[in-house]
Amino acid sequence: MADEEDEPGFEEELDDGSGGLDAAGHGRRKRLFSKELRCMMYGFGDDQNPYTESVDILEDLVIEFITEMTHKAMSIGRQGRVQVEDIVFLIRKDPRKFARVKDLLTMNEELKRARKAFDEANYGS
Amino acid sequence: MADPARIKPEDSPEKEGFTNDEHLKTDETEHEPEPETSADGSKEPSRQDRPRDLNTEGEAAAADDEEEGTSGQPSAKRLKLEPEKKKEKRQKVDEDEIQKMQVLVSSFSEEQLNRYEMYRRSAFPKAAIKRLIQSITGSSVSQNVVIAMSGISKVFVGEIVEEALDVCEKWGDTPPLQPKHMREAVRRLKSRDQIPNSKYKNILFH
Repeated sequence: MADEEDEPGFEEELDDGSGGLDAAGHGRRKRLFSKELRCMMYGFGDDQNPYTESVDILEDLVIEFITEMTHKAMSIGRQGRVQVEDIVFLIRKDPRKFARVKDLLTMNEELKRARKAFDEANYGS
Repeated sequence: MADPARIKPEDSPEKEGFTNDEHLKTDETEHEPEPETSADGSKEPSRQDRPRDLNTEGEAAAADDEEEGTSGQPSAKRLKLEPEKKKEKRQKVDEDEIQKMQVLVSSFSEEQLNRYEMYRRSAFPKAAIKRLIQSITGSSVSQNVVIAMSGISKVFVGEIVEEALDVCEKWGDTPPLQPKHMREAVRRLKSRDQIPNSKYKNILFH
């Protein structure tokens, strides 16, 4: 039924059974996002109980994605630091992600302004 | 009152973001500024354009700034009218979209409601993402970076899951997604350059 991860070298080295002491480490560290990824997969259309192997594959992909973006962001703009402008620049060609980032940042600003106004109102009265 | 000149550019088949905005700009300056509603037919194209609208609004604003420097009065007035009208139009489109979403969500079955709730609420834990990014950069990152990165990662997961569901359906399998579907999905996305991979150098001539 489910394919075993025997195929070498496709994404990450998941077939290595040994524990966490490897320097190359993506697949070996403790699973960071298992619970959240399950909910996400259900939300995006998968079954209510997704396979653990699929969740593992996704987690490795996400960690690799974040690592790539971070490295790229460090190499552009201000070197050695990751700033929002760098991320927005890297994402510019992908319409979905670009729109999402813009939305999130705008909403965050609005929320901050609303909270500040609320606090000031309380402080005044 | 519908303004025919306004409707025309929105209905035009070319949806190239920037040129679309440019048409709107030139037409709006020729007629009186009215905070009116555009006809129903034109709402569809503007909604589809939304992901690109945000992209082009930045460019349009930049173009506006340049124009003000060169010409005199008319463009200064244009600059004052432009953002207001666009904001009103955007708010109107937002309200319509919100209404339609409400109608849609109110007609969901229980299972669909569950799934929709998971879709909206699931998110990556900010602390773990922050730790991950900081372990790579070695220095601290701002909160906005964490917010942006979590958001992008969620979209990324969505793209993969959607593609994997396509693959699953195409191969005649049923939902719980299997690793082979995921791998095929990744392979497809890679060929469309939607997955960043900087592991291999492109040696042009050797």
